[in-house]
Amino acid sequence: MKAILAFAPLLGRLKGPILLTVLLSLVTLFAGIGLLGLSGWFLTAAALSTLGSAFNIFAPSAGVRGLSFIRILSRYGEKLSGHDMTLRLLSDLRAWLFAKLFPLVPLARRYGRGDLVSRLLADVEALDTVFLVALGPISTAVLAGAAMTVVLAIFLPGAALLYGLLVFAAVLLVPIGLVLASRAAGAEVVAAGAALRQAVLDGIDGHQDLVLFGAIDQATNAAATASQQLSHARRRLGLRAALAAALVQLLAGGALIGTLLAGLAAREAGAIDGPLLAGLLLAVIASFEASAMLVRSATRLAGAAAAADRLQAIANTAPAVTEPAAPLPIPEGGELRFEAVRFGYDPQHPVLDGLSFAVRTGECLAIVGPSGAGKSTIAQLLLRLVDPDAGTVRLNGSDLRDAAGAELRQRIVLMTQDAPVFLDSIRANLSIGRADAGDDELWRVLDAVRLAQFVRGLPGQLDTLVGEAGRTLSAGQARRICLARTLLSRADVIVFDEPTSGLDAETEAAFLAELPELTRGRTAIVITHAVVPETFDRVLELRAGRLE
Amino acid sequence: MDDKARIVAAGRWLNHLAATDRPLLAAVLGLPLAAGALLVMQAMLLAGLLHRAIVDAAALPALLPQVALLATILVIRIALSGLGETAAVQFGEAIKGRVRAALVADLLRRPPTWTAARSSGALSSTVLEQVEALDGYFTRYLPAMVQAAILPIAFAVIAFSVDWIVALLFLISAPLIPVFMALAGWGAEAASRSQAAALNRLSGRFADRLRGLVTLKLFGEDAAETARVRQASEELRVRTMRVMRIAFLSSAVLEFFAALGVAGVALYVGLTFLGLVSVHSTELTLAAGMFLLLMAPEVYQPLRLLAAHYHDRSAAIAAVAEIERELDGLPEAMPPVAAIATPAGAEAPATLELRAVAVNDPTGRQVMTAAELMLDPGARIAILGPSGIGKSTLLEAIAGLRDFDGDIRIDGRALGDIAEPELRHRVAMLGQRPRLFAGSIADNIRLGRRDADHAAIRRAAQLARVADFADALPEGFATQLGEDGLGLSGGEIQRIALARLYLRDPGLLLLDEPTAHLDAATEALVLDGLTEFAVGRTLVVATHSRAVAARMDKVFRIAGGKLLPAPKPAVADRSVGAA
Repeated sequence: MKAILAFAPLLGRLKGPILLTVLLSLVTLFAGIGLLGLSGWFLTAAALSTLGSAFNIFAPSAGVRGLSFIRILSRYGEKLSGHDMTLRLLSDLRAWLFAKLFPLVPLARRYGRGDLVSRLLADVEALDTVFLVALGPISTAVLAGAAMTVVLAIFLPGAALLYGLLVFAAVLLVPIGLVLASRAAGAEVVAAGAALRQAVLDGIDGHQDLVLFGAIDQATNAAATASQQLSHARRRLGLRAALAAALVQLLAGGALIGTLLAGLAAREAGAIDGPLLAGLLLAVIASFEASAMLVRSATRLAGAAAAADRLQAIANTAPAVTEPAAPLPIPEGGELRFEAVRFGYDPQHPVLDGLSFAVRTGECLAIVGPSGAGKSTIAQLLLRLVDPDAGTVRLNGSDLRDAAGAELRQRIVLMTQDAPVFLDSIRANLSIGRADAGDDELWRVLDAVRLAQFVRGLPGQLDTLVGEAGRTLSAGQARRICLARTLLSRADVIVFDEPTSGLDAETEAAFLAELPELTRGRTAIVITHAVVPETFDRVLELRAGRLE
Repeated sequence: MDDKARIVAAGRWLNHLAATDRPLLAAVLGLPLAAGALLVMQAMLLAGLLHRAIVDAAALPALLPQVALLATILVIRIALSGLGETAAVQFGEAIKGRVRAALVADLLRRPPTWTAARSSGALSSTVLEQVEALDGYFTRYLPAMVQAAILPIAFAVIAFSVDWIVALLFLISAPLIPVFMALAGWGAEAASRSQAAALNRLSGRFADRLRGLVTLKLFGEDAAETARVRQASEELRVRTMRVMRIAFLSSAVLEFFAALGVAGVALYVGLTFLGLVSVHSTELTLAAGMFLLLMAPEVYQPLRLLAAHYHDRSAAIAAVAEIERELDGLPEAMPPVAAIATPAGAEAPATLELRAVAVNDPTGRQVMTAAELMLDPGARIAILGPSGIGKSTLLEAIAGLRDFDGDIRIDGRALGDIAEPELRHRVAMLGQRPRLFAGSIADNIRLGRRDADHAAIRRAAQLARVADFADALPEGFATQLGEDGLGLSGGEIQRIALARLYLRDPGLLLLDEPTAHLDAATEALVLDGLTEFAVGRTLVVATHSRAVAARMDKVFRIAGGKLLPAPKPAVADRSVGAA
């Protein structure tokens, strides 16, 4: 819950739309209460009136029509303003998340792989509807219950206290109780879900091993067991919600019976007349409309609270590297030096151990070695995505830790092995490398990576949308777009981390052979598994964190 | 059109799933209907009570039995709907559990080359998230649909016995609601579909940028991208709200009819009481009029419920489409996989014969065009060559993991004629990227032979030099390994995978780069162990390492899609082979 409160500033910015939505949903509810109450009063009064007595039928019938009309309009308005608010919250949340995440990049190591993105998406989604489906309905129900209690206090004081207490319990205590009682079961669901995901991932990633060892049945059973545990946890959660829903209905029923008894007594004592009794009873019945969806709101609130917890936990982690308080400028040039660098995600198992090497300005160097030898870590150290545990990495003599991150990223650029082609135009994809690049520069770089002819043939040329992980492009073309983007930057040092992963051997060979020429004049470090062409100046082989 | 057919097919699949558990389905659908029937009784009782109190001026004590009865019915009705929800939870979980089990069984029954070509993250989210998205269809949409189809009509029919005009009002307006909603919806549908597409595109863009966060940061685009995210979302909001103005008309229609029902009943009954409308031969009582008024909102309530849960259906249909896309089809409910019995008995070394073998690598490129090989029992060979030349692909074909053309024979029998359990018993293979599973080091080694005792595990671990590092861990062989063996180095993972292999008793041993992550000293120790284990077995090793090749009887290299004999490296130096 506390984590949701941390998002209060975001909600505070939407004060206007939020108030409007609550107001409109209250009007809708009151119009419904008024409509049914007035109808009951009118019907009973009409039944009691004797033939020929003067009964003013115009006021009640106008009231009935007016309330119907108000209800239709306010319901429409409530829906519109609720959705407008939700979409505003969605923009704010997304922007908030991006602003928080950038300083924390890279995240993958600390938050497991793969599912981080889908988890973030689901969490943001759970939060952006928190008002529409949870906070809004709950506050409306509370306000409506309070208003109805006041009405009863005026017309039927004997029922007001009981009604007030029971409705208060139904709209506030039960939802809160459900949120609290669901916490353990909810955590169990998350844990069981994670165990099932692990079992499924084990089965898929280890599929070849499982087949080779004839252990498919073992993996299938492990997943089935995990799935049963998830079902079990979810069932517990669901049963709690069903119980809470029944409790809300029971409390509402109790409020109805209580009002009925008090009304009958008051009627017998002559404190109220028949039509008013009928009207009040029907109004009480109509007032329960607000509580019908409350349990669902409470469940969503619990989900949103958990989502808020996770988002806050990520937002509040300390960044992997800290910016220097007084950054020093980096001298001109592209000379790199690793001095006895040690680094390990787990200090017991250093990935790099006492690594030293130097690269001259303008040199084109390949780093090869088996996976897990620490090649990618070199790239991460160069871009200061991580800092060494011991030793120093220097660019033109200055320790990277003393430089401003923004300057460092202007001087050294990295093309990662999973560098994506963004769902956007080709121009936008390239401009990431250099925002102010003109068309002629874009064409020149496309020409250099041998994509110009292809792009000229596209219907929208530079403005053609390419999409979803570069789906309209072949793997080779997608890599070339990323290469073009990287070359376009003004950096002195270009680092390529497995630039050819996912390419077939011929494309790979062609791609690598051209790199030294394309990066001429700048320092290039190419980390690769592939056969290194002879056009490279030097090859370093890394094994178990050291150079061979 | 195609879309429609797919939606129909998805709906059929979902209903088929629902029908597999008939008793629960009956409870899920029937209990809310029973609660609906009690609602009618409740309204009758309350209306009668009010009549007696107001028209007959009955004293409170005389009314108490009726109040007690009303309370009882109320409690029973709540209990019934509570039971209905409980049944719905059980129902949904039972179905999801079955679908998950079927999906996993289906996935693992496919060839490993199929799973290797796909993202394990996407597949696992199909099993978890997409299956979870089916929930609302069974627990909420189905009961709401049945209630909406039956209750309004049933309530109207009951109202007939009281007043035919009101009954007619119910009967006409309730079924009209869906019609009018559809009419209002038609105008909005095209707009809202393009709307949904825009929203999806934006969500896709958001996910896309989230995945590319590192690249954006590396190019210093952090602030610019944050601003763009907000701008794109805002633009979508403005566009969406324009469409929503039309789309929400359908909810206004629902509200219109519900309000019309209540107002119409109130005015009509009131006017009848006042004698201003008289279509009745008998006089309408307050009890009858009040009953009709109490029922009026209830007639429209099931439709409202259906409207509220309609999106559960769309979500489930979308999930089915996603499952179908990820798995190239929808799985049937499947029987559990039978355990593969491992044949026992000591084994002689196998023969291996390759004739005109052609095989494609995962990208579809033909890496072998006409591989020929003839190995006598107990032969030990190395296949040298740079990455991507096709060594792993060839080993996978020999292990029966990959389709090929030509003829592969083990012990003189064609690969296709050897039953899976027998093949697995006879041939053992170490892949290039062995996977460690969640569990302890000992558990991971035990994968090699389920009934292996502690001593056997220890022996295998010593041979593979696992004991060298495992014994140094605080919990030794009981150390739990996390996702992907996090915390272990590549070389340690490979050695555990080797130990796993040493628990088996194969006639043919296929190893893909078994020492790629090891330093020279460890490599020599591991090779000693391998040499010991390989006695009396046929051994094929794909490798970069000359140290490995030097220990084999013969060396081959791959060139032009063929296996060619190559000179054996005389000195076990450690330069990169053939690179």
